[in-house]
Amino acid sequence: MTETVPIEARSLVRVYGEERAVDGVDLQVNAGEIHAIVGLNGAGKTTLMRMLLGMVRPTAGTALIDGHDVTADGSDVWKRVGCLVETPFAYPELTVRENLRAAALLHGLERARIDAEVAMVIDDFELGHWADRRSRALSLGNKQRLGLASALVHHPSIVVLDEPANALDPAGVVFIRDLMRTSAEQGTAVLVSSHHLDQLARVAHRISLLHRGRIIGTLDPSGHDLEEEFFDQVYRYDRERGAA
Amino acid sequence: MKRALAVEQLKLRRSMVVVVTTVFVVLFIPLLCVGFVAIAKSGGAGAAALKAQAMVVGEGWEAYMGLLGQMVSVAMFIGPGMVVTWAFGREHSDRTFPSLFALPVSRRSIATAKLVVLAGWGLALIVLLLLGSVVAGLLAGVGPLDDVDLAPRLARLGLAGFLTALLALTIGFVASVGRGYLPALGAMILLTVMAQISVLFGTGGWFPYATPGLYALAGAEGIPEVSALQMLLVPATVGIVAWLTLRWWERAEVV
Repeated sequence: MTETVPIEARSLVRVYGEERAVDGVDLQVNAGEIHAIVGLNGAGKTTLMRMLLGMVRPTAGTALIDGHDVTADGSDVWKRVGCLVETPFAYPELTVRENLRAAALLHGLERARIDAEVAMVIDDFELGHWADRRSRALSLGNKQRLGLASALVHHPSIVVLDEPANALDPAGVVFIRDLMRTSAEQGTAVLVSSHHLDQLARVAHRISLLHRGRIIGTLDPSGHDLEEEFFDQVYRYDRERGAA
Repeated sequence: MKRALAVEQLKLRRSMVVVVTTVFVVLFIPLLCVGFVAIAKSGGAGAAALKAQAMVVGEGWEAYMGLLGQMVSVAMFIGPGMVVTWAFGREHSDRTFPSLFALPVSRRSIATAKLVVLAGWGLALIVLLLLGSVVAGLLAGVGPLDDVDLAPRLARLGLAGFLTALLALTIGFVASVGRGYLPALGAMILLTVMAQISVLFGTGGWFPYATPGLYALAGAEGIPEVSALQMLLVPATVGIVAWLTLRWWERAEVV
């Protein structure tokens, strides 16, 4: 029996007018693996993640989560998924604790476990000081922490994070790196996007380079100069495309 | 669905828009009616007194309830309209809409929960408004209660107010499609104006957004009784709007 792949993109395409935002992407993230997608602004990272999470319908191709087509809204498969794409789950009129309770409810966490899990995640994400304050009072960095905590409160086995280090201070970035590493060690499949090569890509098992909507290559996470390798590949691709 | 209801209820309870609107409608409208009746009764010749005399027909509770009928249809559209605008528009303006994807609770359930919670709040609002109005009338000594049978008048205003609050859900559909507050506020103003115009032209009974207001005032001078068919158009409109809203939420993408 073949094992299902937690996250899989099969020839995904998304077209906006004349623009091919994602242009035939194949990608897999296995259990216990951190797969980073790096690319310049506008490369298609967010659109790709949105398709994988059912936020945007593919023009062509298929997005699968644990073998299920993601276009099925409200499916139980989403109980296993935690994501932070764009704005964090932070309703300004709710306190940090209430936001986390709401996120836990919507993620399908057993009601009896919600209070304990919320208390734990508040502790883990160092949000205790703000737990009973409305989230509108939080700094951008703490709002991002709240968004991450909301995405992970139900212990998902599949995690999708779009630029999770946004607005975080250096301690927050280290925290995210450790969090991803620990999650992967526990068998979680992590897909993360970043445009800061050294921040998050270093903890990845695989790095795919997305440019102009296509995966144009990979980077070696243990390589000496990721940045130089990144730009080499990008310029080579653009040159060849221009010549073609 | 229960989970979506719990979350939407929590958001509604914590919202300042809801608190302000509830207080405004429940306190301000009865006070306004009491004030108008008092000014009209004073028999002055100033601009306010003349305006009040034009709006207040009859004496005592009869006059007070008639004025309340005029207020209810507007207050129960604008008040709930503001809250509905917030409840649907905020998911776009606060950029929380993407957070409602990739969940085991479907977006159809979330939108249904919004409609149910808003309808429940609308019902509570009209009940509180009518209670507040009776209390304000009694405290202000509007007139002797023996002369008027309040129960059927209150029931009529209650039904009219609740139906108007349900019609205000239309604005949630506009806030969803328009992805924000401004289109919804525009729709609220447009529907209010259209309802007034349809009444002026005598076709209000067939325009569902004017029907509950006419039903509230039916029997007053120049206001004909609303037919059963005309009344049925109101829940039919609410049903169509709810269906369109749920359909949009099922199919919408993040932009």
